[in-house]
Amino acid sequence: MLDPLTMGLGALLLVIIGAAVSTEKTRRSTVLALRSLWLHKLRSMLSMLGIIIGTTSVIVLMSIGEGSMRDALEDIKRLGATNIIVRSIKPPEDGQSNRRSFIAIYGLKYDDLSDFGTIPSVTRLVPMRIFPQEVRRGNSMHNSRVVATIADYAEINKLDLQSGRFLVDEDDFLMRNVCVLGSKAASTLFPLDDPIEKEVAIGQFVYVVIGVMKDRMPTGGAGGSQAAEDFNDDMYIPLQTARGRFGERIMIRSSGSRAVEKVDLHQITVTVSDIEYVRPTGVILEEMLSNPRKHPRKDWALTVPLDRLEQAENTKRRYSRDLGMYASISLLVGGIGIMNIMLATVTERTREIGIRRALGAKQRDIVTQFLIEAMVQTGIGGLVGVGIGIFLVFILPILGQTSWMIDLFGQPGPPPILHQESILWSLATSIGVGVIFGLYPAFRASRLDPIEALRHV
Amino acid sequence: MAATILRVENLTKVYNLGGNPLPVLKGISLEVAEGDFVAMMGPSGSGKSTLLNILGCLDRPTSGAYYLGTEDVAGMSDDQLSDVRCRYLGFIFQQYNLLPQYTVVENIEVPLIYQGVRINEATKSRCESLAGLVGLGTRMDHRPMQLSGGQQQRVAIARSLSNSPSLILADEPTGNLDSATSVEIMGLLRTLNAMGKTIVMVTHENDIAAWSKRILRMRDGLIESDTINDPIPIPEGLRLIDPELLTSIPGGI
Repeated sequence: MLDPLTMGLGALLLVIIGAAVSTEKTRRSTVLALRSLWLHKLRSMLSMLGIIIGTTSVIVLMSIGEGSMRDALEDIKRLGATNIIVRSIKPPEDGQSNRRSFIAIYGLKYDDLSDFGTIPSVTRLVPMRIFPQEVRRGNSMHNSRVVATIADYAEINKLDLQSGRFLVDEDDFLMRNVCVLGSKAASTLFPLDDPIEKEVAIGQFVYVVIGVMKDRMPTGGAGGSQAAEDFNDDMYIPLQTARGRFGERIMIRSSGSRAVEKVDLHQITVTVSDIEYVRPTGVILEEMLSNPRKHPRKDWALTVPLDRLEQAENTKRRYSRDLGMYASISLLVGGIGIMNIMLATVTERTREIGIRRALGAKQRDIVTQFLIEAMVQTGIGGLVGVGIGIFLVFILPILGQTSWMIDLFGQPGPPPILHQESILWSLATSIGVGVIFGLYPAFRASRLDPIEALRHV
Repeated sequence: MAATILRVENLTKVYNLGGNPLPVLKGISLEVAEGDFVAMMGPSGSGKSTLLNILGCLDRPTSGAYYLGTEDVAGMSDDQLSDVRCRYLGFIFQQYNLLPQYTVVENIEVPLIYQGVRINEATKSRCESLAGLVGLGTRMDHRPMQLSGGQQQRVAIARSLSNSPSLILADEPTGNLDSATSVEIMGLLRTLNAMGKTIVMVTHENDIAAWSKRILRMRDGLIESDTINDPIPIPEGLRLIDPELLTSIPGGI
């Protein structure tokens, strides 16, 4: 996808190239410039080095940025752009009551769930209760995160099954004692055999394993109130089953202390029918939850992945802008290199300038000629840089997998994705650098006195 | 009497060297008729090169008038002078002054390009014929570095003809050549003159000046003498230009 600005830039490039070959004079100058580049290969390479390095680094850095940004966006999209996540959060203890309560009562209620269901834009509600429990099987034990939820959970979280099946509505309805294990939980409890149809226990209750999830990357907690989640330790059971087996109070034992919580639902994932309803629905949800009769304290939090998507895009824009600035320093240095070589060329070719003037070249013909030479140099430099950059973008992920690269730089990040707009941008900038830094030498060349220039040895 | 091709009246040129005015031309008046072959002679410092530069529109006089054809060139802008140079003038230099990056034919095309002419088959064949005219028909794709001095000078002559100039200006055209090659070059210029080309040449050698029809001697910025000369006839066996070739050049010379 190219935005109009970039398209305009491309058109401008075409116009410049078109102009360079349109009249006999400019065509000759272009051919001559190419010829002398070819004639002095090493010198041209050296003078173009700044431009080459500049454009190469723009392409590579922008592509790396694009790659990691795409990765972050994928991550956010996994949370679902049409989703709104409402979570229970434990409010801070209020110092007013000196009644020591062992039971922390807070969070989303089943009432909230049915209230949410009345919003017309909402297409799906996935409630869940999440609490840590020890899951046992014979002598082996796994500290699992038990997620009590309904069948739709798999869909909104885009979970993939390795074997068996996920929970279905019937499991919930019939309060079946079934569970689905995360990959790590499964491999700890069933290191050798297939867990399907086997039994695991939480407390005195036994659950039959009906499915095992595929290994899944943890979601990065990309800032905000959403914490990072590792799905591989999970154990999924039907919501109604959890209600029946655990009741509303859940005791959490950890390292000698214990806490009892009464939380109806830890999280409700609200899916709306269209992306444009996300924000209005978010406002409605917020209003519903702000009802002081239902939630006297703010014991809930709203996360809108769409917001984070936009944040990420803003970050990307900022990142591109910063990169552009660094790259422009490199191109500036490259431009000075070009100016240097062009000034040397003007001195070296004083006689040629004199001859051309004698044969009828106007001052502007000389300016054009030297400008074209500078533009050809920086343009070719830009092309070479773009070529190297594209090559690197494709070779880096392959190189990154090799063991010595891992030794040096650690595990490779997300693979770079070729940032196509930066190709156009860096080409246009290189040519622009040629114009800017070629202007002074070209002007100097044109102001030479023809007679003096002819006498020059 | 043939039409006057150039006329200068009371031409002066004063250089400013570190605040001291240095008059180089002190009032030159001169007329050259169409078809003439003028040799300008004089010791160095006599102003003959300065005069040639002014006649070649490379320099402007401090005062005085210069009519090329009927146009007053003395007051023209730099751009206008450039136009005059590429339309009406042909240059031959002592140093040949070919463009080293170009082939023979490309060098011959240069004045046409600065006229803004589109290079097509017609202009190309004209330039190739001109290369043939000066005897370089087999070396059209060579670079100047691959040619001898005499050959380079012949390319320069072909180049000076490419725009069908009214006036050819030659600055010591044989200065860098041995005597045998000099004779060749002078024979060529003589032939062109015989075909009707007006030539103004600077030289300091008497036997080169002997090829011209008129000899101007300069001293201290003034014309000392202006004499009619009976030119050396073109030696037999030195007819570089085949008359048939001449008529076959597209666009004429």
